[in-house]
Amino acid sequence: MSVTAIADWTSQLRRGVLELCILQLLRREASYGYEIVTRLESLGPLAAGENTVYPLLRRLKTEGLLDTFMQESPAGPPRQYYRLTADGRRRLATLEKEWAAMVTAVERATRTGVES
Amino acid sequence: MTGENPLVERYLAKLDAGLRDLPAAERAEVVSEIRNHIAEATAAGKPIDAVLSALGPAEDLARGYAIELLLNRPAASRDTSRTRRFLALVGLVVIGSIPTLVVVTVLGGVGIAFGAAGIIVFLAGVIATFGWLPDYVTMDVAPWVAVLIGPMLAIAGGASLALLVWYVRFTARLVRRVIPKKTAGVDVRDVMA
Repeated sequence: MSVTAIADWTSQLRRGVLELCILQLLRREASYGYEIVTRLESLGPLAAGENTVYPLLRRLKTEGLLDTFMQESPAGPPRQYYRLTADGRRRLATLEKEWAAMVTAVERATRTGVES
Repeated sequence: MTGENPLVERYLAKLDAGLRDLPAAERAEVVSEIRNHIAEATAAGKPIDAVLSALGPAEDLARGYAIELLLNRPAASRDTSRTRRFLALVGLVVIGSIPTLVVVTVLGGVGIAFGAAGIIVFLAGVIATFGWLPDYVTMDVAPWVAVLIGPMLAIAGGASLALLVWYVRFTARLVRRVIPKKTAGVDVRDVMA
């Protein structure tokens, strides 16, 4: 597997998981674009670029999973906060279940692969 | 703040240009969000060059939005747009069918009849000039009149056929506008892959 192929695989994997991570990040409290990006950055391999996160936030909003409100910031222009809608919470619950099933399946596959 | 930085303005202008397939309101919101991001990042002490290079080329960012928003459009809006397109097609057929019937019949009939008649009259005139046609055929019309009128009739017929061709092209263009080409969606999917 070449370096670009691995990078490609990682980015595809991340693209799918990122939606779950953003919804999880917003589970307890609303947050604004820059904060979401920097918090994802601190998550190591999940660190998706701004050019992935912002378009995804926008799509989650058009899908009705997130909605936005404006709030003054201590310095600079007002911030656009994202928060989960009821649909967003339902989606988060579904994705968490899917993710758990996926992890179990991958682990089992890896283990049997090692044993045989 | 960063509002007046020409680097930032140029970046946002490029982003805005790249988003031209999105609705104007959505475009403005996207540009304002990225503007805020740049303001937050520079306020946090990051140099402007680093902030812009982390965002990546404006064209790529715009493409990221196009992929997320145009490809993954919610099913509901895709349905309404499909319904609207179907209604537009029905409307086009209803409004267009009767005029098309009339136009095609009249222009086609006039075109063929006038064209053929023009040639026959012209030939009859030529033949009559040499006195080879009996009077009951020429009906006392002077041969030179027939020679002159023949080509005029033929020209009228040709013009009518040309109009018909133009009309067919015009309706074809209308129909094509209502029924979009399938390739548009495929292009976005190619970008995705």
